Amino acid sequence: MQKASVSKWFKSGDPWVWLNAGAVAISVIMVIGLLLLIAVRGLGHFWPADIVEARYQAPGQPSYNLVAEKVESVEVPAVQLREAGIDISDEKDIVSRTLMKTGNRDIYGADFRWVIDDFLTDVQTPSMLFAAERREWGNLYGYLKAVKENGNTVVETQDKNASESALATWAKFEKSIARVLVIHDEIYQIEKHDIGAINHGLERLRLKQRSLELNKELTPIVMADLNSDRAVFDQEYKVMQEQLIALYAEINRDTFVVEAMDGSIKELQVAKVVRAFRPNDMNVLEKLSFYGEKLWEFLSDDPREANTEGGVFPAIFGTVMMVLLMTILVTPFGVVAAVYLREYATQGWMTRIIRIAVNNLAGVPSIVYGVFGLGFFIYFMGSSIDQALFPEALPSPTFGTGGLMWASITLALLTVPVVIVATEEGLSRIPRNVREGSLALGATKAETLWRIVLPMASPAIMTGVILAVARAAGEVAPLMLVGVVKLAPSLPLDGNYPFVHLDQKFMHLGFHIYDVGFQSPNVEAARPLVYATALLLVIVIALLNLSAVTIRNHLREKYKSLEM
Amino acid sequence: MSEMKTHAIDISAMQRSQQTLRIESETPCLTVNNLELFYGDKRALNGIDMIIPEKKVTAFIGPSGCGKSTLLRCFNRMNDLVDTCRITGEINLHDTNIYAKGTEVAELRRRVGMVFQKPNPFPKSIYENVAYGLRIQGINKKRILDETVEWALRSAALWDEVKDRLHESALGMSGGQQQRLVIARTVAVKPEVLLLDEPASALDPISTLKIEELIHELKKEFTIAIVTHNMQQAARVSDYTAFMYMGDLIEFGDTNTLFTNPAKQQTEDYITGRYG
Repeated sequence: MQKASVSKWFKSGDPWVWLNAGAVAISVIMVIGLLLLIAVRGLGHFWPADIVEARYQAPGQPSYNLVAEKVESVEVPAVQLREAGIDISDEKDIVSRTLMKTGNRDIYGADFRWVIDDFLTDVQTPSMLFAAERREWGNLYGYLKAVKENGNTVVETQDKNASESALATWAKFEKSIARVLVIHDEIYQIEKHDIGAINHGLERLRLKQRSLELNKELTPIVMADLNSDRAVFDQEYKVMQEQLIALYAEINRDTFVVEAMDGSIKELQVAKVVRAFRPNDMNVLEKLSFYGEKLWEFLSDDPREANTEGGVFPAIFGTVMMVLLMTILVTPFGVVAAVYLREYATQGWMTRIIRIAVNNLAGVPSIVYGVFGLGFFIYFMGSSIDQALFPEALPSPTFGTGGLMWASITLALLTVPVVIVATEEGLSRIPRNVREGSLALGATKAETLWRIVLPMASPAIMTGVILAVARAAGEVAPLMLVGVVKLAPSLPLDGNYPFVHLDQKFMHLGFHIYDVGFQSPNVEAARPLVYATALLLVIVIALLNLSAVTIRNHLREKYKSLEM
Repeated sequence: MSEMKTHAIDISAMQRSQQTLRIESETPCLTVNNLELFYGDKRALNGIDMIIPEKKVTAFIGPSGCGKSTLLRCFNRMNDLVDTCRITGEINLHDTNIYAKGTEVAELRRRVGMVFQKPNPFPKSIYENVAYGLRIQGINKKRILDETVEWALRSAALWDEVKDRLHESALGMSGGQQQRLVIARTVAVKPEVLLLDEPASALDPISTLKIEELIHELKKEFTIAIVTHNMQQAARVSDYTAFMYMGDLIEFGDTNTLFTNPAKQQTEDYITGRYG
């Protein structure tokens, strides 16, 4: 009886429904869990955590004053610590240990340390403790003592509580930072854009001279022309240089004095500070606005300090631009190949072999494409292009080295099978009677293809493009060989002629994750950024895909007659 | 529904004139000479000889697989699309052999239009469907297109139904409207011959009736060849009827004579429903 009911249950199909639903549920939970993990870990990084001040007394060691930001806590078995020689009372089995960010790398050498919670006493969060993000050496934590201009103290305080003098000093400090940031922007503008443009112009003059020289057309008249052009640039440069000197003098006017946690006093330049804040004194709204500001900096700014601080904008830009270029390259190529295979080629063993080969291409490891791209595109084609078109720049390569164009082409090659397969699938689904309808009206095969078949197959083509984009945006391995770099000095799209620099190296979010997470000298500082960048990469890919899906749905709506 | 259909047939049958037509007195539009067609090694048409008279309706009847659709598709070389298909003999459109070397197939198909069994509108607007053939010919002047589209839609008795939604998708129309749209689309390029391959077999009786009425109208301007499974339909719409069986043209002649007094036993067996 029991047996019969089990077999009946199996026959009813219920177990399969449960199995399928379970599989779907597990996949969904895993994806959501992963996204949540990287979101929480990555987005938490920008929240201004409280700075604690405490006395730390490890047994058998001198006690010291600790000023730090809490990063994370872990539970550790007491035995493990005892074996490491730390004296833990016998009653305890588990001890909690906290990673503290003490900052001030220039003073202590390291900016993170583990402390055992039990040995922390007298924990407080004084409101005058401040954190300063600097352009180098990481964060600074301490008490502000004084602000100086040209070496002369303007305001100073001896208090560690929020006394009138302490607040006045802080206000002056904030004003000074605001002033310095304005000057810094001016300097950045001049160095990056104005002097950048001059350098670009000088380089083009040098290349022009070299090219004339190579063609033996470098007459004294031309030479004089070139020199006069160069003189103009030199003159401009001199003006810029003077401006810069003045600005640097301005920016270095202010200094501030800070007392670090060990009581040492340091005098630092305000120019080195990006922002200073007192998290213990912030209310939730202020923290939220600070959070938004930090998030925006992450999205829109250049990286600082070996990519462990600042933003990832060049990487976002590089990723999107590379993917768009790849799409522009792969779509026509894949569609044309599929049209030939499906519509024109005689269907026989030859087309079958080609189809199998195309399908297999999709399974080739991506690093192989990277090697191919490096060997064929860069070393062979790139250097040929250089010799033919850019002899004046030699021996420094133009296209004979990794760059945006080669990376896009390599990825286009990597994804072309997907587009071919999807397009062929779409072409084969166009009903025969629609094609015949067009032919019967006196259209040739090519006209039928162009006016009827391809538009109707366009949703399928878009499906292929979506898959290609998804694959290309997440690919890192081949890019490392064909043009991605840790830090690109400028964006591949800028105001200097010819505006789009296909030969330039670029940054990429995927490579950024690898570089920041695993090649960075400051692992602890970089870890949250890895999560944040990973989340960002997922979002960028999702956005690219969503836009493609939107286009496809629009096309589908337009040509939804397929099943008649 | 079936009652309505019978009713329609009665009216239509009453309206038909009973006079006998003579094929010898007609002007030939298409002349078929000893046409043989092979799919690979299999012979599908065995030496067909016949004429399709101008400005008349010629119906092809016969059981499934007898070759009537194949023959029809020879008239605009649609069989060229089948890789294994081979043809001997000739078909003359007026005086030129359409299978002669150097024939412009696209031009031939413009002159010999075809409507298929299932409505196959393009996923475009009603207007663009009708204008398609003209645009293919490079006609893009709006005035000419507008005039032709209206004329073609009127010819297909569709204009009044769709004139307010010309720029909506053709896929939103009913099956019968779609088939008339396809006819309008074919008529728009002003072909000489109209081939109808079971044009009403996928339609409901009312739409079928409309298509049949349309055929009566269209034969004033076009030579029409129609393949049909429905013998009553052949009797209703055609002037001449060809009965085909197993790739042979068994009997060809005036429709009234063929249905009332067939010359061959096979024809009689088929039209009386003894096989097929």
